[in-house]
Amino acid sequence: MKASSSTYQDTSIWRFFSSVRLAVFLLIILAITSIVGTVIPQGESLQFYLETYGPSFFRIIKVLHLNDTYHSWWYLILLGLFSTNLVVCTLRRLPFTLKLSRRDNLSVDSGRLLKMPFKKDWEIKEELDNDSTQSIISAFKKVAGKFQKRSDVDGGRLFLAERGKWSYWGVYGLHGSILIIFFGALVGLFLGFKGSVMLPEGETIDHIVNRQTGENIPLGFSVRCNRFNISFYDNGAPKEYRSDLTVLNDDKEVFHKSIVVNDPMEYSGVTFYQASYRAIPEVTVQVAKSGTPERSMTISAFQKALWPEEQLSFGLMQYMPDVHGRSAAQIWVGDKEGRAGSFWLLKGNKKEFQRGEDLYRISLSNAKQRYLTGLQVKKDPGVWIVWLGCTVLIVGFAVVFWVPHRRMWLWIGRRKGKTAVILSGQTNKNKLQFEKDIRKIEEALNSSLGARQ
Amino acid sequence: MTFSSSYLFSLTTFIYMGAAALYLIQWIFRVRKVGLLATVVTVGGLVIQTIGIGLRWIESYQLGYGHAPLSNLYESLVFFSWVTIVVYLIIEWQVKQRVIGAFATPFASLSMAYASFSPNVEDKIQPLIPALKSNWLIAHVVTCFLGYASFAVACGLGIMYLFKNRFSGASEGIIGVIPDCKVLDELIHQTIVFGFLWLTFGIITGAVWANDAWGTYWSWDPKETWSLITWFVYATALHARFVRGWAGRRIAYISIIGFVSVMFTYFGVNFLLSGLHSYGAQ
Repeated sequence: MKASSSTYQDTSIWRFFSSVRLAVFLLIILAITSIVGTVIPQGESLQFYLETYGPSFFRIIKVLHLNDTYHSWWYLILLGLFSTNLVVCTLRRLPFTLKLSRRDNLSVDSGRLLKMPFKKDWEIKEELDNDSTQSIISAFKKVAGKFQKRSDVDGGRLFLAERGKWSYWGVYGLHGSILIIFFGALVGLFLGFKGSVMLPEGETIDHIVNRQTGENIPLGFSVRCNRFNISFYDNGAPKEYRSDLTVLNDDKEVFHKSIVVNDPMEYSGVTFYQASYRAIPEVTVQVAKSGTPERSMTISAFQKALWPEEQLSFGLMQYMPDVHGRSAAQIWVGDKEGRAGSFWLLKGNKKEFQRGEDLYRISLSNAKQRYLTGLQVKKDPGVWIVWLGCTVLIVGFAVVFWVPHRRMWLWIGRRKGKTAVILSGQTNKNKLQFEKDIRKIEEALNSSLGARQ
Repeated sequence: MTFSSSYLFSLTTFIYMGAAALYLIQWIFRVRKVGLLATVVTVGGLVIQTIGIGLRWIESYQLGYGHAPLSNLYESLVFFSWVTIVVYLIIEWQVKQRVIGAFATPFASLSMAYASFSPNVEDKIQPLIPALKSNWLIAHVVTCFLGYASFAVACGLGIMYLFKNRFSGASEGIIGVIPDCKVLDELIHQTIVFGFLWLTFGIITGAVWANDAWGTYWSWDPKETWSLITWFVYATALHARFVRGWAGRRIAYISIIGFVSVMFTYFGVNFLLSGLHSYGAQ
């Protein structure tokens, strides 16, 4: 990201897209424009915006897609520019990093060593014997770690302990991780789906409804809700919503799981989440054609119950749990000729009705709540790419800010007829710790060389 | 009822207010001994608050709910002040400068005062609603608040920077004891780097949790969006160092703007906007 290069395509547009200025500008613009979608409610009907904001502001909302800000053309352009900036920055830095990581830090002379941020040199009159030399080297190694060496550098021997040279690649991980996350999001967008379904207890579905388009999405298998259960704390707050689900493949039960919020069921790449529920009334009636035995029939709200032998259908229009201490239901009855009518049934009372020639008797025997479980259904093959991106982001960040490239040099040789020892070093991060470490070597060398100076 | 968590938290409120006053006194009147006292009082407050948090955790088990004390606004305010004090004490210990305390501890005492005295903040231990019953709760809240607290301290440092920069001629007096602009700039940077890492962790743990709970790792819910806005602001601060003319004063401003964004993410979203994170407002 530094601003001088002539080795790469040095056109002005290239320079524009690789500048940190553009990055800073885009980050500020993204921060400011992202506010819009948190202030204006998202994903409402156009009618809502017209009524809430009036016709002139409504036009702005429509043109700028402020009803779906984060998928609007201009927001996507900003994200596109941001990605371009990241890619171009990376490409532009690459030659520098390659040069840095290929640089041979052993090919320096003793003069360069004395120009390093940390340096110390000793001169002694007599020659160093083998033992003293070894003790100096081992003092260096003890703190600096593994080293490379080269003899014949300015008439002496050079030792280099280098650590974290690879850390220059951290920034590529950090910046690349953003692109990985974007890529994962795109994979999810194009190869996955998001939908939902309201599934009554005891029933099976083989498709769900797409949340955005409202189209049916076939699952390729079926899911049955065996039971829905809700429990409460003593203070009345909800404690748990639980749906007991069974997966069926060609009518064979293949998988079973009881799901709660935060613990979804996954089957063949599709995940089912406990999202909501609805309770609908369900009544049981005793009904008989005069002269024949009674039969029991269950009628749920929003569903027709059939009596095929008599070609009658029943529906539940209203249910009241407490009418003067008794429950009451408004029942609708239709026949094959399309004649229909409704009447109220009070629990404990019998009622008669006529259809054509026939007289029927009906009574309300039982009423209860029936549950529908609301499931969020999702398929997202890109989610693992997103998690990979997140991991790379964190690791890259840690490398960029906390893994230093440390170099420590030790040179032992002759200078102007004397023995000279040079200790020097350089780091690009955490200078405090580096200084502490190199001072340790300095002290050790002081005690073995200082006395002889 | 004397030795309950709420009693200890009330005590903590007064101790932190006292500590903030002591740090201010030692800054303005430059009395060394008061500075030492301020540190002792702050550490004492932290110990009592830590016991309080542990006690509240135990109390929730005694009530039969059994969850970490990180589940509503009251508990998050207590935790926010706790982390702010921890982050500040680490900096004090590293930098050996008590002046920063005058700009950092007020955030912790304000947070505790708001939790203790505001009638809008419910301090009863409540059971966890189904959406919050997850192992990710602790990871998400702890990481986010480590970020928030670091940004609070960075904001305090930013204010110090602007003070110092404005009266840069003064080498004595109350401005004189504020560390050099260069030192402050480096401290702001370090604190933002630390906070940014935790904010990033917080957003990621939130995404992983959302993916488990709601079936989508990102739904542009106002809280999520505001955490991203905050992330953009601090990403700006980290990159601005490489732009000529941006280091120093402008980054000090960004550290303050960033904290305003943090505060909006924390409170504004709960009170002014509606969304999936509404349980944070109770």
